[in-house]
Amino acid sequence: MKAFDYIRPQSLEEAEGHLTQEKRVNILGGGVTLFLELQNNDLTPDIILDVKALPGFHDIRYHHNHGLKLGAAVNLQHLATGLEIRRHYPLLNQTAQELASPQIRNRATIGGTLAWASPVSELAAPMLCYDATCHTWSPRRTRTIPVNELYLGDFKTALEPDEIITHIHLPSFPARTYGIYQRQTVRHDGRRMIAGAATLAIRKHHTLTNWRIAVLGVDDRPKRIPEAEALLEGAPDEEIIHLALQAVQENIHPQDVVYARSDYRRAVLNALLQRSIHSIISNLQES
Amino acid sequence: MKHEIQFIINGHARSLTVESQQTLLEVLREDLRLTSVKHGCSTGECGACSVLLDGEVVNSCMVLAVEAANTEILTAEGLATDEGLHPLQKSFIDHHGVQCGYCASGMLISAKALLNRTSRPHEEEIREALVGNLCRCGAYADIIKSIQVASRARR
Amino acid sequence: MISRKPHVIGKPFPLIEAQKKLTGVTCYAGDEKIVPDMLHARILFSERPSARFWLSNVDAARNHKGVAALLTGQDLATRMGQTILDREMLAVEQVYFAGQPLAIIAAETPEIAEEALALIQVTYEDLPAVLDIEQAIAPGSPQVHPDFYDYPGADALHADPAHNIAHSLTFSRGDVEQGFAAADVILERSYTAAHLQHAPMETHGGVAQRQPDGSVTMWMHVQAPFLQRKIIAKALHMDPAKVRIITGCVGGSFGGKVFVSVEGLLAAIALQTKGRPVRLLLTREEEFKGVFTAPAMRAHVKMGATKDGRLTAIQASYDWDVGASVDAALFHLQSVALAGTGPYAIPNADIRTSAIYTNLLPAAPLRGLGVSQVHWAIEQHIDELAEILNLNPITLRQWNLVKGGDMLFPSFIMHANGLQSCGLQVIDAIHWHPDASSHHDDAPEPDAPKKRIGQGMANGWSPIILSEECGSSISIHFDKENLCNIIVDGVDIGQGLYAFVTQLASFELNIPVEWITVEPTDTANFAPDWEATYHNLLWSTGHALLKATAKMKRQILAYVSEVWEEPISNLDIVDGEVISYASRRRYPLLELLEQNAENENNAPVFSVTSVYRPPNTDGSIESLLQSFASTAYAAEVQVDEKTGGVTILQLAAAADVGHALNPESVRAQIKGGMIQSVSFTLLEEMIFENGIPQSHNFRDYPIATTADMPQQLHPIVVEVPQQSGPYGARDLSHHVQVGAAPAIANAIYRAVGVRIRDLPITAQRIYDALQAKRAEEA
Repeated sequence: MKAFDYIRPQSLEEAEGHLTQEKRVNILGGGVTLFLELQNNDLTPDIILDVKALPGFHDIRYHHNHGLKLGAAVNLQHLATGLEIRRHYPLLNQTAQELASPQIRNRATIGGTLAWASPVSELAAPMLCYDATCHTWSPRRTRTIPVNELYLGDFKTALEPDEIITHIHLPSFPARTYGIYQRQTVRHDGRRMIAGAATLAIRKHHTLTNWRIAVLGVDDRPKRIPEAEALLEGAPDEEIIHLALQAVQENIHPQDVVYARSDYRRAVLNALLQRSIHSIISNLQES
Repeated sequence: MKHEIQFIINGHARSLTVESQQTLLEVLREDLRLTSVKHGCSTGECGACSVLLDGEVVNSCMVLAVEAANTEILTAEGLATDEGLHPLQKSFIDHHGVQCGYCASGMLISAKALLNRTSRPHEEEIREALVGNLCRCGAYADIIKSIQVASRARR
Repeated sequence: MISRKPHVIGKPFPLIEAQKKLTGVTCYAGDEKIVPDMLHARILFSERPSARFWLSNVDAARNHKGVAALLTGQDLATRMGQTILDREMLAVEQVYFAGQPLAIIAAETPEIAEEALALIQVTYEDLPAVLDIEQAIAPGSPQVHPDFYDYPGADALHADPAHNIAHSLTFSRGDVEQGFAAADVILERSYTAAHLQHAPMETHGGVAQRQPDGSVTMWMHVQAPFLQRKIIAKALHMDPAKVRIITGCVGGSFGGKVFVSVEGLLAAIALQTKGRPVRLLLTREEEFKGVFTAPAMRAHVKMGATKDGRLTAIQASYDWDVGASVDAALFHLQSVALAGTGPYAIPNADIRTSAIYTNLLPAAPLRGLGVSQVHWAIEQHIDELAEILNLNPITLRQWNLVKGGDMLFPSFIMHANGLQSCGLQVIDAIHWHPDASSHHDDAPEPDAPKKRIGQGMANGWSPIILSEECGSSISIHFDKENLCNIIVDGVDIGQGLYAFVTQLASFELNIPVEWITVEPTDTANFAPDWEATYHNLLWSTGHALLKATAKMKRQILAYVSEVWEEPISNLDIVDGEVISYASRRRYPLLELLEQNAENENNAPVFSVTSVYRPPNTDGSIESLLQSFASTAYAAEVQVDEKTGGVTILQLAAAADVGHALNPESVRAQIKGGMIQSVSFTLLEEMIFENGIPQSHNFRDYPIATTADMPQQLHPIVVEVPQQSGPYGARDLSHHVQVGAAPAIANAIYRAVGVRIRDLPITAQRIYDALQAKRAEEA
C-alpha cells in the first residue's frame, strides 16, 4: 500500500481537525472493504482516520421502550453472538451468523459495513427490516439517515465524504416479531450472491402486520419493497402472496453478473420469498 | 508516518517501530520472523494469515500493524509450550489434519479461537468456525476430526 | 527369544513433516530469510492476448535507483519446453496470451521493483485473437503459432498448426463400423468442461542465486525439480549441471508447479545480479493470471450397445483448449488416449484426442490429467444408455467392466483390479441399491415437495504411465553423525512422500523411525542428466527404495559377517541390531557405527545408491502403460426444483490402491480428492473475456470451504494387489478424483430428471434445464 498517515482520534473534535484540512481522508472501521481499495491503489489517501477509539462507538444499549443503540464500531461478530441481539432482533442475529467468516466478522464494523453500499450487502437486509437509522456526524452537522434512505444505488450512499456514522438505532419491536433471512449463493459460505431476502412481520392477534421485505442482489442497492409489503398486511392467502410476489418482481431491476443471469436472479428471489413468507405465516398457525 | 508500538506476541512483550501502511501480516513475518502467518491472498479470503488478536481470530493481512498496538497476539509459533506441543498440534499430526501444510497455521488459530469459546464443539460448529480458512488439498474432514479429538483432550 | 518388531507397513503412521508445518518451522515460498544483499523480483505481464508490442522507457526503469537488473525479450529471447519449445520465457515482439511475461526486474525492495516496472510503457497493437476451440479449428481462423515448425521439437508432434491443432493422438481397436452395426441402441452426446485453476495456497516463488562458478542455485517450491532443471538449462543454454534446484516442501501444486512458468525467469535474472540472491513471490492475482490454467474440454461420445447390455462400440473425441503452449499438456493427451473408452472392455473403439492452440493462458494438467473429464462424459453416457436399455445402471457397468486378463492394448494384459469392488462398495456406503427402474421418477416426494433427492454412481479407471524418465534414484547413507540419511529425488507436495520413505526404510532395515532423516530434494545430489518421476511416486520411489534398502542391508550384514566370521545367511537386522540366528550374537548398529568412526583405516562405507527405471519401452503409448488405478464414486444429492441449488447429502469414494501401506494417509488422500472434486464439479470455472482472465482472487474463483462439504463422506480403501508394485501397492495420487463429477451429475438426473453435460454443474444450469424440461412437457 502507498504510504499514508494513520490517525486514531480520541474525540470527534480531534477528528474534525483532520477532516477540515485540504487532505484526502478515508475512514477506517474494520478495514474489510477499505483495504481492498488501498491495495489496488483505487484509493490513495493522505490520512487514514481510525474511528474505533471515538467515544460511544462501541456502545451497546438496549431498552425495551427505546430500542437498541449500537455504536458504529461494534463488530459484526457481536451481532452474531450478542445476547440482546439474539433476544430482541433475531433476524439480525440470524443474518449476522451467516455473514462472511469469523475473521471478517471480528473486524468488520456495523458503520463501515452499512456504509459499503453493495447491492449484496447482507447486513443491510435485516437493518432495513428493523427500520434502522444511522446517526451521523460531520464537521458541519449531525443528522439521522434512515437506512431506507441511505442507499442511492451504484455503490453510493447519502453520506457526505467527511460524514461519519456514529451509531445506529433500531426501534423496539414486540416479542412476536417473526423474521427470516434466506439467500442463494454460488458457494455455501455466502460468496457470489445470486439473490437474498430478509422478511419480517409482527403478529397482532391472528394477523401479521408491518410486513417488511428487504431484497439483495436484484437491484442496484439493497432495498425494501413497500408495494409488496402493503399487499401482505393481514393474514395473506395464496392469491395475495402471489400478488405480492408479482409486486416484488415489478419493482426490482436485477443485473446480469458473470455467475447469474438477471432472469435467474428473479426466479431465485421469487422462490426464496415464497418460502420466507410461508415460513412467517406458519408462525401464525402454530400458536 | 512512523509509530512506536508495543504488543504482546506469543506471551512476550515487544516494542516495534512501524509505518502506518504496514499490515500486521508484514510486521509479524518480516520484523518478527513469525513465518507461520502466511501470505495467501491479501484480500481476506483465505485465512492463511489468521492470528488471534485479543483472543479473536482475524486476517492479519487486513489489520494495520499500528491497529494492533497494546493488544495480545497469538500465532501458531505460540501454541507449543516447554511441556510440548499443544493438543491441537498433536491431534493434527495424529489425525492427518496436515497435507501440504500451508493452511495449517491458520486452521490451528481458528480452532484455538473456537475452543476458547466452546469446549466441546459439534461438527457443525467446527465447520462454521473454519469457513474463512481455505484448504486446497481438501483436508477439511480430517482437520475437523483433529479438532474434535483435541477438544476432548485434557491439558 | 529374538522377535521381529511388529510390521510398520499397513499400520497408521503419522506424517513426520507435519510437526514442522504446525509449528511454523517449515519454509515455504516467501518464508526465506531476507538477507541484507537480497534482491526482490517483480514481473511485468502482458495485458493483451494477441498483439504486437513495444516497450519504451525501459532504460529509465533499468537506471531507477535501487534496480540491480532488468531483462526484457530484447535482452533474452529464448523458448522453453520439454518436448516442444513453444513458450517464450519473455515475449520478444509479439504476445500470445494475456499473462505472458514482458519484463522482469530485480531491485532492493519489492516496492522499488514495482515502481521501476511501472515506468515501463507498453504499447500494444492488437492482432486477431483465437479465443476458444470452435474458433481455433474453424477454417480461415487466425493461426496462433504461424511459425510452429520453427519451434524446436515441433516435428515430434502430430500437428496441424494451420487449424491450430498442436498435437493429436488416436487409439483404435477392432472395427467401430461393425461394432455400431451390431448395436441395438446407439447414443451420441456432447460434453464440455471449463478451464480450471490449480490455485495452490502457496503461490509460485523462491530464491535464486548465481554461484561463483557461474552456475545458478534455486530454492524453489516445485513439484518437478529435475524437469525444471532440464527445461531451464535448455532455455538458458546452460549445462544442466550448472542449474541446481533444491525443494524442501511445496505448499500445494496439483500439477501447476511441474512445468516452468516463472521459475526460468527467476534463474535468468539471478544470473544478472553478480551473485546477489533474488527472491520472487507471486501475488495471488499473478498466480491466477500469469502461470497456468487447466485445459478446457469439448468431447463427443458415440456408444453402441446390444439390448442385453453388451457395449459393442465407442467412438469418442476429446478436444482440449491448451492455450498458447502445448508442451505442458502433452502428457494429458497420452492419458486420455489410453483411458478414453472408460473402464469398459469394449471390443471396437476409436478414440481421438487433440490439443488445440488458443491465445489463452497455457494449460498444465490439474490432478487427473484429463481422465476426470473423460469420465465426466463416459459415465454419464453409460447411465443414459442404461436408462434407454431399461437396465440397472450398476449391472450394465459391472457386465462390461474391464477385468483382469483382458487384453485391451497390444502389449498390455489388464491386471486384477478393484473396479467391480469399488463400484459395489460405494453404492453400499450410501445405501443405494438400484434396480432397472432406478432412473428418474417424477412422483413428488412426500416430505419436501420442492427438494428432491437422487443417487448416482460412476466407475473410473486411470492409466499409470511410466516412461523412461519416470524413474527414481535413492541414496542411503549410514554413519555415526547422521545415522540413516536418505536422499530422494521425489518431492513431497503434501502427499506424505517423506513419511512413506521413512516408513519403508524403517520397515525394510528394521531400524527405529527416529534414526531416519530424509534430505530436501536437491538436484545436485544426482547426475546432471538425471530425470526423476514427478507423478506416481509411490511406484518408482518405492521400487528404488526397496532396492536401496536391500543393498544397504547386504552391505551391513556383509561387514558383520566378516567381523564375526559367520556366513551372511545366519545374520539379520532386528530392532536396530545385527543378530545371528546361529550364534545368538548381537551387534547394535549404533555401536557398529561408533566403532566405524573410530577405526578410520578399516572403516567400511555404508552408503548405497539404487536406481529404478520403468521397463524399456518400444516408444508406443501402450508400452508406457504400467497399470491402471481403479476408482468409483457414489453420490446422494438433494436438488431444489425451484432454484437448481444442489446439496450433497452423501459422497462415497473408493480407490483400489493395491496395498494400503499407510491406510490413514490413503483415506486422507481420498477425502481430500473428494472435497477437491466437489469444488471442481460445482464451484469452479476459469472465465476468460476476450482472452483476459477474469479471476483475480478467491472472490472471483471460489474454491470449496467447509460450508461446501458433503454432509457425509465415505472414503473406502480397496486392495487388489498389484503384483509388480512395491509390496503390491499402486499409486493413488491424481487418480483419486476420477468419477466424482459424473456420479454427482447422475444423482442430479435421478433427483430432478435433467442431465447437465457441461462442467461446472451450476444451479443456474440446472434451473435452465428444468425450465426447458417443463416447456417440453407443456
